[in-house]
Amino acid sequence: MTKSNRSKGIDYWLPKLVLSPTIAITTVFIYGFIFLTAALSVTDEPLMTIFSLTNPNIDFTFDFVGLDHYVKLFENDRWNGALLNLGIFGVLFIGICMIVGLIFAILLDQNIRAEGALRTIYLYPMALSFIVTGTVWKWILNPTVGIEKFMQDIGFTSFTFDWIVDPQMAIYTVVIAGIWQSSGFVMAIFLAGLRGIDTSIIKAAQLDGASLFSVYTRIIIPSMRPVFFSAFVMLAHIAIKSFDLIMALTGGGPGNATDVPAIFMYQFSFTRSQYDMGATSAMIMLMGVAAILIPYLYSELRGEKQ
Amino acid sequence: MAGLIIDNVQKSFGQTHILKGIDLEIPDGEFVILVGPSGCGKSTLLNCIAGLEEVTSGRILMGDTDMTHAAPKDRDIAMVFQSYALYPNMNVRKNIAFGLEIRKMPKAEIDEIVNNVAKLLQIENLLDRKPSQLSGGQRQRVAMGRSLARQPEVFLFDEPLSNLDAKLRVEMRTEIKKLHQRLGTTIVYVTHDQIEAMTLADRIAVMKAGHVQQFGTPQQVYDDPANMFVAGFMGSPSMNFLRVEVGQNGDDYHVLIASEGHTYQLPCPKAQGDLSGYVGKDVILGIRPEQLTHVMPHVEEGEFVTKVPVKIEVTEPTGADTLVLTRINDEECECRVHPAEAGQPGEMMDILFNMDKAVFFDIETEDRI
Repeated sequence: MTKSNRSKGIDYWLPKLVLSPTIAITTVFIYGFIFLTAALSVTDEPLMTIFSLTNPNIDFTFDFVGLDHYVKLFENDRWNGALLNLGIFGVLFIGICMIVGLIFAILLDQNIRAEGALRTIYLYPMALSFIVTGTVWKWILNPTVGIEKFMQDIGFTSFTFDWIVDPQMAIYTVVIAGIWQSSGFVMAIFLAGLRGIDTSIIKAAQLDGASLFSVYTRIIIPSMRPVFFSAFVMLAHIAIKSFDLIMALTGGGPGNATDVPAIFMYQFSFTRSQYDMGATSAMIMLMGVAAILIPYLYSELRGEKQ
Repeated sequence: MAGLIIDNVQKSFGQTHILKGIDLEIPDGEFVILVGPSGCGKSTLLNCIAGLEEVTSGRILMGDTDMTHAAPKDRDIAMVFQSYALYPNMNVRKNIAFGLEIRKMPKAEIDEIVNNVAKLLQIENLLDRKPSQLSGGQRQRVAMGRSLARQPEVFLFDEPLSNLDAKLRVEMRTEIKKLHQRLGTTIVYVTHDQIEAMTLADRIAVMKAGHVQQFGTPQQVYDDPANMFVAGFMGSPSMNFLRVEVGQNGDDYHVLIASEGHTYQLPCPKAQGDLSGYVGKDVILGIRPEQLTHVMPHVEEGEFVTKVPVKIEVTEPTGADTLVLTRINDEECECRVHPAEAGQPGEMMDILFNMDKAVFFDIETEDRI
């Protein structure tokens, strides 16, 4: 009796015991700091005052300033440039990744030979970190060592490809590297979606007289709407959070030409020590991700209930 | 409308030969059922007729036109699939209209056809629903509606009823038969369910391992099977096969069976096969359970009827009849008796062996004698 009681006790307490450090750490270091960041974005208190626990005269009175920092942020040209860059990068990155991924997935779905090998090749960039991708593409795109030099060396002396040092074009090099990294992943998602479609639907459409093109455009792709939605959400939050790829590829430059909100936030917080601006921009990014993820999670969870 | 001629069609996937020379001639308006066990090639043959699979050799003709290499859309064929294959992103109306839209039919004409088809199949109230909102039987109707809308020369059905529950299956079966009587279009229908085959078909093609074993009316296939496979496949409960020795009395032949230590002579009608070459040898006697009944006076007087006392091993009541399992020549043998006449397991019971429709097979070749 005692023994069974004790083992019941362990069964009951062990999961809670194992999970509690994680919960505690998550609560403090993720949700706690989200809260502090939010607080920082609406108050006028230097960060160090809040954290200096050794200071006996901690002043817990915050000067509440409302949305002043937000107004200031949106009056900042560099922030608006970063937002514009995010817009260009986000739209092109998500759009082209989906198109390329879908085309590859449809091609791979035609019962071709060596499909497994090709799938692996397309998926491999995903195994690299964005830092590696950024560094590799920095070399490839560098006019003095990369593609431009190669083309000139083999005889095309007038060939130029210097987008990475051109402030007007540098953001598009980020798009290229991002697509290279992520389109294989999108392809895998779409391929899984295509495999879920009953082959007799395709046969039925063929008998109905539809060409292979209209089978895909009128039946298969429209019925993969949930897959598109999942791919969009995953790509969108990669885009909003994009930091490491750009740091490795261009460092935000030339000048501020490839600045995005994440780099803006990092530089204002940690190199300029303007914590209020950093926290405010971080909150805007959080809201952006939430605006995409919350409807997604809502629809997913509702789907599970049904 | 058009008939269908399948001329020595063969189909191989690499080294695997699925169809090994199929010949079928289907007149205009006939309802033909391809039946056979899994893997016999019946669905492959249907896909070849539809043009979804290219034949390896042979010809397929519709009417007088050689369609062997025509694309599926040029064959004027409609097909109903086992999984229904409705387009999941379109509502019922669009599903039915899709084939017509692809063929660039005017909008007003499409609407008229869709409404007629919906009325015919009683799915008018479902037209604005998505396939995911329909039950299995409703999906089945929509799938049929989609193929009806195009008014094709030939309908193909690929096990259309096997995803439905038993009651619905019987209902839809009747409905398909009514539909055929009304439209008179050539239908080729694949099933593994021999009851479906018997009830629906004008003619049945029994297939096994890439060959057509027999092609005939349901009654021919049932009463006059070409070989042991056809005899065993058609009919439920299936035909009893007993290994028996053939004997001769003057001009008449009989076979010998043993039950509970006694031997009985069963006289054989000459019309059921020439046993002259088999006297003193063993053959396989094929006799259906309904030829083995309890004692009924008007049957007992028949020329080829013998009363045999048997020991009951198992009884299986089915309601209308009770199936009595017994042992003849040391082989299991099923008899179909009236429930009130069936005894208890372990008891003895008199069974009438009616040889009027008995069939005989060669032991080596398993073909009919």
